[in-house]
Amino acid sequence: MAVEIKLPRLDWNMEQGTFIGWLKKPGDQVNVGEPLFTLEGDKAVQEIEATEAGILRLPPNPPKEGDRIPVGTILGYLLAIGEQLPSEAPVPAPQAASQLPAAASPSVRRLAREMGVDLEQVRGTGTTGRITVEDIRAHQQPVVARQADRATQSVVMTPRARRTAKSLGVDGSSIKGTGRNGRIRERDILAIKPAAVTVPLAKTTDDSKIRQVIAERMRHSLQTTAPVTLHTTVDATNLVNVRNQFKAAASSGARVPTITDLFVKLVSRALRQHPRINARWEDTGVVTSEAVNIGLAVDTEAGLLVPVIRDVPGLSLRQLTVRSKELIEKARSRTLPAEAMRGGTFTITNLGSFGIDAFTPIINWPECAILGLGRILKQPAVVDDQIVPREMMTLSLTFDHRIVDGAPAARFLQALCQEILNPVPWLVE
Amino acid sequence: MSNELLISLYREMLNIRLCEEQLARCHQGGLVHGACHTYVGQEAIAVGVCAHLRTEDVVFSTHRGHGHALAKGVPPRQVFAELFGRATGCSQGRGGSMHLFSPEVGMMGTSGIVGPCILQAAGAGYSFKLMKTDQVAVAFFGDGASNNGAFHEGLNMASIWKLPVLFVCENNQFATEVPFSYSCANPDVASRGASYGMPGVLVNGNDVLAVREAAGEAVRRAKAGNGPTLLECRTYRTRPHAEGMGDFTYRTKEDVEAWKTRCPIKAFRQYLLTEKIVSEGLLTDIEAEIKAVAADAQRFAEASAWPDPATAATHVFAEPTPVKPSSAPATSDDPARQITFMQATLEALRDEMEINPRIFVMGEGIGVRGGNFKTTAGLFEKHGPVRLCDTPICERGFVGMAGGAAMTGTRPVIDFMFADFVLDGLGEIINQIAKMQYMSSGRLKMPVLLRGCIGIGHSAATHHSGSYHTLFAHCPGLRVVVPSNPRDAKGLLKHALRCDDPVVFLEHREILNVKGYVPEDEEIPFGKAAIVREGRDVTVVAVAHMVQHSIKVCEKLSKEGVSVELVDPRTIAPLDVGTILASVHKTGRLLIIDGAFGPFGLGAEIAACVADHGFDDLDAPIRRLHGKHTPTPYSPPLEAAVVPGMSDIEKAIRDLLAE
Repeated sequence: MAVEIKLPRLDWNMEQGTFIGWLKKPGDQVNVGEPLFTLEGDKAVQEIEATEAGILRLPPNPPKEGDRIPVGTILGYLLAIGEQLPSEAPVPAPQAASQLPAAASPSVRRLAREMGVDLEQVRGTGTTGRITVEDIRAHQQPVVARQADRATQSVVMTPRARRTAKSLGVDGSSIKGTGRNGRIRERDILAIKPAAVTVPLAKTTDDSKIRQVIAERMRHSLQTTAPVTLHTTVDATNLVNVRNQFKAAASSGARVPTITDLFVKLVSRALRQHPRINARWEDTGVVTSEAVNIGLAVDTEAGLLVPVIRDVPGLSLRQLTVRSKELIEKARSRTLPAEAMRGGTFTITNLGSFGIDAFTPIINWPECAILGLGRILKQPAVVDDQIVPREMMTLSLTFDHRIVDGAPAARFLQALCQEILNPVPWLVE
Repeated sequence: MSNELLISLYREMLNIRLCEEQLARCHQGGLVHGACHTYVGQEAIAVGVCAHLRTEDVVFSTHRGHGHALAKGVPPRQVFAELFGRATGCSQGRGGSMHLFSPEVGMMGTSGIVGPCILQAAGAGYSFKLMKTDQVAVAFFGDGASNNGAFHEGLNMASIWKLPVLFVCENNQFATEVPFSYSCANPDVASRGASYGMPGVLVNGNDVLAVREAAGEAVRRAKAGNGPTLLECRTYRTRPHAEGMGDFTYRTKEDVEAWKTRCPIKAFRQYLLTEKIVSEGLLTDIEAEIKAVAADAQRFAEASAWPDPATAATHVFAEPTPVKPSSAPATSDDPARQITFMQATLEALRDEMEINPRIFVMGEGIGVRGGNFKTTAGLFEKHGPVRLCDTPICERGFVGMAGGAAMTGTRPVIDFMFADFVLDGLGEIINQIAKMQYMSSGRLKMPVLLRGCIGIGHSAATHHSGSYHTLFAHCPGLRVVVPSNPRDAKGLLKHALRCDDPVVFLEHREILNVKGYVPEDEEIPFGKAAIVREGRDVTVVAVAHMVQHSIKVCEKLSKEGVSVELVDPRTIAPLDVGTILASVHKTGRLLIIDGAFGPFGLGAEIAACVADHGFDDLDAPIRRLHGKHTPTPYSPPLEAAVVPGMSDIEKAIRDLLAE
């Protein structure tokens, strides 16, 4: 049987060798161990010995001296006497000219990358076909759109913030982050959340989306803050009387302040006396807010929304009443503008109308505290050693113990109660 | 000697020769994918020595090991298939020519590294001594290996402990292509036996009967408990160092041709005919028969399936051993169970040695003295010098021996005292111990426990303070344990002494006296991180001493409302990435703290894993805090400046919170 003479591998990583020449002539008898041909590997020229015996025959188009040939290529055959060359003996092909893409210098490659040009698509005009800067420019595609993209990507947002923004349907790119160098962090996204839900609210949002937002906000608040709730019961008779006076004096169509409106006014006064309750926690420490912006928890068909009444101290009770009614109506009709839910420093929630007395509201993070109003119920009370019917109500204040301790929070609640006992001076201030 | 035996010697030698020549052809034809070092010209040595060996006796070989494998009984089909890279090869395609394994027949491996086989054979001899069997271990090695430290360390130890080992030096006169006459000041290898107090015997390596006789005497001596023998068999390889390599730059054609006339097979054939032991006809029949065996081996190998690429990473580790869930309480005030880290590991070793007679300890001063860090206190009195073996100061030597001992069924515990000392044995750990299960396709188990102290402190300076855990964790095949407290130390050491993988167990010197509650009997599996402390704001991953530091920092910060979740991986190989990811999912922030070097370190690895799998959880850049990238200085203020302290940790956490 014909023995194939193949180009051997001389070194571990040798892939091809240069065929130097035969040491036997075609037709010669070759014995085992006799030098058969000379081959140049990666390191040196070597004589290759025959590992089999036979008569040397070459294929039709034999390798020429000096050819670079891949390892394993058949160079020739050793045949027994009378044996024929195998038909269709493969023709060794000297390695074809390189199919690699044209050469380009590193700076040209960088330019190509920057301009989005695929080097393989470019025909080089430089020496030996090298691709030049001019070739790249000539090949340039319109990049205006790409540059525009890049501009909008300059907002730095953490991956976590991006994910939260996405899940809330928020576009956070317009806000200023509170992280280092203005980086937008998850907390920044959560802080603007109300804006987020209003945009879709007006048009396409379904309830489950709002539910998701509420869920995320509640979870985050509980995970982040150290909430403590204080309860106290206060005699609100005078407050109820004030409201009745407004009712009695109101012409038809005039807006009468609700109990909640009265509370907004009273709370704003107490907050200015106790600025710590109007603060928020940052990594660097407690940051108090100059403004007093009070959010109202509003129950809507879609879920809980919290419109914010800004600068409460700067509003008269009448202005405040108009403003709150307007915000609540917009919340319920899903037409609340985004800004109307931003920037709160304190929140009031009222479950009194449902017959609830006391509860443990969850802080509207990153604010410091939230006040829960219970129902107002006529109850026997002791006044000057007499049992008399009084309009009693329970207040529930949840505060973040990271920002403020129990005693100062209790002092705030105490101050508020004092205002409720005699509300008029604080309401007309 | 019976004619039958003589004929079988001839048959064995011819089998090697014809297989090798066939493999050389296959190499030239492209069927052998990697290197191929043939044994042509040296056949009389393998055959003469292996004639005395039973299946349970073991052979450790070199890069030129086809002959040893065939003489020890590995079928030619398996050798060919291995060189062809097939699933039916003796190493199932994981080894190739230089990593032939067949423990079933006592072929414990050929090796691409010169020297380790000497130590491994000594280690096997130690196993046989410990288990009181009559097995014998043989190391075949070349003249080149006799200039290697392994030769000195291995022969010395085998001799002082009188181990049943044959050291067979095949002096073929060239270490690769460097002449032995040039590279050795005393080229008389046999004479070096005297240096180690053992017989050194010079034999004509081309005379199979002479080799057989000398080996027979050495085997008798080994079995009688009289210790090892050094055989120097002078020979010559008549093919190039490796197939395809040029041969006449360093030696002449005339030399090679002259040695071909001294062919061991030709000479022995002539002897058989002259002595009229066999007829020419019978020899011709044998030759035809063996030629057919070699041809069949090639056909078999060519027809064999390739290994499944999906299995490329199997057999790096053994199957995990089951761990009984702990019933111990989370904490206890029992004063008797408040013990130090050191006492905890001693308890684990004491308990396991009690129930497993295959465990033995090797190290400097771990015998009567009980260990520099009291790691073996009281055990010598109980178990004696074979199980508590004081060693010469030759880390490479006894680590290499541990590999050989594990390969032959015992469970060595190597006590380095200081982990810095292990670096002299790194090749034995990374190239041999760690790779052995893989190279042998899981047929060898490697239950080696390597333990030592790490960590900067008390002006230990740079040769007694290194932390090398990440260096080991980088290499496949090693389990790396870095405990931070007494309870973990005991539970993890117990697991280390029960699992079948090599374990590097590193004990931080600064926490050896930390006390804590340690249950009587608890085994802790590898790859399960501990959540030392739960938290919300930031995840801190720390190991060893840094865990102890971090606990104190966390307590301080918690008073300010900063809630840190502290995770201690406990083992860094395997690394419990899942627990870390779950924590980062919760906190959004990650700081990794390790006293070892930063570049390519634990922080880099964990950061990459979290960036990869937990990217969307991150609310801040990942931070790492490491020791300075410098050798450890001696002077206390310099020393304090290179290792993270509590104020560094606190600062890093605060800084991360501000991101």
